[in-house]
Amino acid sequence: MTKYAMVVDLNRCQGCRACMEACKVENNTAEGVFWMHVFRFETGEFPDTRQSYLPRPCMHCDNAPCVKVCPVGARYKREDGLVLTDFERCIGCRYCELACPYGVNYFNWRKPADSYFLDWGDTDIQAATGGAIPPYRNPDLDEPQGAERRMTAGGGHHKGVMEKCTFCVHRVEKGMLPACVTTCPVAALRFGDVEDAASPVSKFLREHEHFRLLEETGTEPSVFYVGGNPPGSETRQIETIEVGV
Amino acid sequence: MLSLTRRRFLQGSAVTAGALAAHRWLFGGLETLARADPLAQGPPVEDMFPTTCWIGKQDCGMLARRIDGRVVKFEGHPGNPRNAGTLCPKGQAQIVSIYDPNRVKTPLVRTNAKGQKGEFRPTSWDEAITMIADQVNEVRARNPKLVLWQKGRSKAKDFYDDAFVKSIGCSKLGHGAYCSDAGYRALEYTIGLHGVQHPDFQNVDYLLAWGWNITNAGGNKFCWLTWPRQMVVARERGMKIVHIDPRLRSAGPFADKWLPIKPGTDLALALALCHELVNQGYVDTEYLTNYTNGPHLVGEDGLFLTETVGEGDEAEQVPIVWSASADGPVRADQASQAKLDGTYEIDGATYRTAYQAFTEHLAQYDPDWAEVVCGLDAQQIRQVAREFGEHARIGSTTVVDGVQIPYRPVSIMSYHMAQQELGFQALRAMTYVAMLVGAVGAVGGMFSDFEWKIHKNYAAFEELTVGDPPYDYMLNKSKYFPINTGFPGVVAKVMLDPERYEVEELPEVCILHMVNPVAAFPGQAEIMASYEKFRFVAAITPWLSETADYYADVVLPAATIEKYEGVISASDGILDAKTLRLPPMEPLFESRGEIDIYLDLTEAIGTLFGDDGYLAVVNSELKLEGEFALPLDRKPTPREIFDRWARSQGLEGGIEYFERNGVWVKGLIPPEKRYGYAADPPFGGALHRIYGASLLAAQRQMQSKGADEIYWRDYTALPTWRAPTMESSPAEYDLYLISYHMIEHKQSRTGMVPLLNELAPHQRVDMCPRTARRIGVAEGDEVWVESHNAVTAETRRVKTVVALTEGIRPDTVAMPHHYGLWSVPESSDRGPTPNAIYPTGEGYMANTADQSFHVKVRVYPANGGDEA
Repeated sequence: MTKYAMVVDLNRCQGCRACMEACKVENNTAEGVFWMHVFRFETGEFPDTRQSYLPRPCMHCDNAPCVKVCPVGARYKREDGLVLTDFERCIGCRYCELACPYGVNYFNWRKPADSYFLDWGDTDIQAATGGAIPPYRNPDLDEPQGAERRMTAGGGHHKGVMEKCTFCVHRVEKGMLPACVTTCPVAALRFGDVEDAASPVSKFLREHEHFRLLEETGTEPSVFYVGGNPPGSETRQIETIEVGV
Repeated sequence: MLSLTRRRFLQGSAVTAGALAAHRWLFGGLETLARADPLAQGPPVEDMFPTTCWIGKQDCGMLARRIDGRVVKFEGHPGNPRNAGTLCPKGQAQIVSIYDPNRVKTPLVRTNAKGQKGEFRPTSWDEAITMIADQVNEVRARNPKLVLWQKGRSKAKDFYDDAFVKSIGCSKLGHGAYCSDAGYRALEYTIGLHGVQHPDFQNVDYLLAWGWNITNAGGNKFCWLTWPRQMVVARERGMKIVHIDPRLRSAGPFADKWLPIKPGTDLALALALCHELVNQGYVDTEYLTNYTNGPHLVGEDGLFLTETVGEGDEAEQVPIVWSASADGPVRADQASQAKLDGTYEIDGATYRTAYQAFTEHLAQYDPDWAEVVCGLDAQQIRQVAREFGEHARIGSTTVVDGVQIPYRPVSIMSYHMAQQELGFQALRAMTYVAMLVGAVGAVGGMFSDFEWKIHKNYAAFEELTVGDPPYDYMLNKSKYFPINTGFPGVVAKVMLDPERYEVEELPEVCILHMVNPVAAFPGQAEIMASYEKFRFVAAITPWLSETADYYADVVLPAATIEKYEGVISASDGILDAKTLRLPPMEPLFESRGEIDIYLDLTEAIGTLFGDDGYLAVVNSELKLEGEFALPLDRKPTPREIFDRWARSQGLEGGIEYFERNGVWVKGLIPPEKRYGYAADPPFGGALHRIYGASLLAAQRQMQSKGADEIYWRDYTALPTWRAPTMESSPAEYDLYLISYHMIEHKQSRTGMVPLLNELAPHQRVDMCPRTARRIGVAEGDEVWVESHNAVTAETRRVKTVVALTEGIRPDTVAMPHHYGLWSVPESSDRGPTPNAIYPTGEGYMANTADQSFHVKVRVYPANGGDEA
């Protein structure tokens, strides 16, 4: 049985946030929404300062608190490890957002089509793009995914529903890597089947010490970090980004 | 209520989903392009079309994912050596800019007076092109050099910088004086290569990342993306990085050692490192003797002892060395055992070798001295010198592809830090650090280009021309700048006061090619005032630039990525490869590619056809000969030109090769081309200049022609430290201002991209918390940053907000570039540009006419009592 996981190599991460952009464009997330978030951290005082970066997608936990609290089964865990949101079933109660210790859920307070940065009502552009909003709208997001044929790709982008990282389920279904992994210029993000002992991610994890975020909470995340340390009480954020939760 | 809304909403979305569910999306493999008939039935067609990134510097290979011809995403092209399937945040975000409704949609003609926010009326391409051609021709008839073609970025040099400029005979001005041209000049002078410093990442073990903004900016020749890809692999191999920079953030976690140097003192540190390498005996005498001018004898006048060989035009000055075997002076080209050091008597006069002069010069620059000047620890400087010397493995060789080559796995990566007042001499001295251990052109060593090609400036710099006035408006061959990068800041100053610079003719017509000097160049006030002087300004730009907004008479809407451009190198320094920019869709609105624009413009000017025309120069630059040559009496399309070029390269299918594959990988760059030692002759036959006699000769000529000391003082044979001009600002200007590039933006040309603004929305001033406490401000507080020009005593200030970081020297504050735009709604109100407070001109530029990005400032609360 396939079980997908992501491995983040903090020895390589440059903190460039290309993964955040690839995610935005691939999944057409609206303004202020970052399913992938790269933190930039600092510790110590000049000149003994240390800086580091931490990409944080959804952890796709094996023991996912968000799945447990969903009253309607919209948030669910697939056999292949992906934790997804069926936006046709989501009632927008936001329990998942409260239950998740990683802060990866975004609630659509507004109609996302109104939050795509620029005014796409421009007739010249509509003529060239057939009226798609945003004009780079990814049609895969309107397709049901997986054997269960549920509407999970793109997480909805509908007013009143929750959305979050899907590990790019619509790409994974086609045998492709998530958009963030593909774009990473320094190959700091890896993705693959951790049930397959011969897979590159399994091999990489065997060969390197690793940790998971908030492991003590028992969530059993599917995102592993190699190199570096989890942020501690001395860690300060620099170059923060405003998010629209 | 919620469920009802949801249900109704879902019904709507279900219809869409149902319609789209009729097919399976394919990923790639289909070749059909945009659907000819938008009403046609059947599933949408998806394909991946190869092109290259438009937003950045190095044109990464991309695949445009298209649905019925509509581009929905760019992915990195896996086959392009530069980016290997990856993209940076800008590469990803540019999708939104293609469709930006704020682009210039039609040609525009100004309807209000210049020097204020522009009012324009749309016009036809015909009228706009005719207006420009008429203006150009009126001036050309008198003096074509009074037409100025100014570029920011040029993505098809053969078509723009060469064919357009040559065919109309105008002047051209680039942006290098704000980039790294002081470094280019220093490396051309010292080792003959066109470029700044970079390592051989496949082999280097110990790297001085000297002002290299690893995690945010590019480096020599490449954008950000290619260098870090090689850097992370080298670190996994064990390479150590010494980060020399007032800011830690540029290296982030990759700094194994951080030397937080005081801004503007890099020359002092380089001299101290040289001092230590010599003192600790890390000297490659074989290299220095055979491949540098170190053995050449220097007289008491500071110039080389030479012998005239040949007669008339053939006459040549050949330097003299001291031969160990003959124990006497011998012509350098005839000596077999030249002495590298020593002082000798010849005919009653005293001579010392250039290397001897160098080591004696270094005596004053020990690490204890540098500790004070650079604000660093002397022991740390000694330690870095020792580690650099040890890691150099002087005397060792290795075999690369069957060729035995000296192995010196130590190097330097520097780039934009060259733009400082002592930048030219600092880069020379930094190169000596690598030269002393024999690392230039060695395996693992220091390079400044990817093939060992000697630039024409190497020979030109052997004898610098210091001409008599009147000078041209760029001050070429003048007593002010015998080495002259071509500096818009100087052109601005000349235009505002031509008498002072002994200039008689000023430019009248300006064509702005993808450049926005008003926002992008320091000395903003002078730059703006200079554009008022142009009689006519035309701007080629996809968005209304601030310069176009205030000063353009005519604006031509350029396409973004949707055009043909090239030929573009896709090399990563290891593989040789070529690519082209191909349009993944038709140009949006009425925009057009620049090649189309120049074909039309030269046709209207009357220089498209004929033996010296635009097409003839394109043939010459692209080496289109015989059956591949463009006919000189018919206007081709850009696609046809590139088709001919591709066929001339032996590529089957011509341009279709690129439409299919995107990139043409030619193979590995062989060691004989990469490594200076392995080249034939070694180092391309250019003797490395450790002693710059021609600089001293130029200094004396400048003095004799009456140039002020501020121009000639840095024309010295050996790099010589002096305190930068900014140090004479009053004590209350107690902080250094530096500026930097963020990975989220590219110069002044991404401010209109909302996806990037979301990541990096506004200006800030980075400050150490202890400095903030002293000033009485906290994170997010508004402050004035006020600069002082030590030459003119002028002050300028901008308001921004504090961003605290322990990763910066307490005596230094830093601001990113990229902001201070106003002409596009998305880019405005994001805070100022530091260019508004950087002075330009005397005291704030290098001796090579290159901008310095250093100034002393004071910072004070914007809402406090001190509103001086």
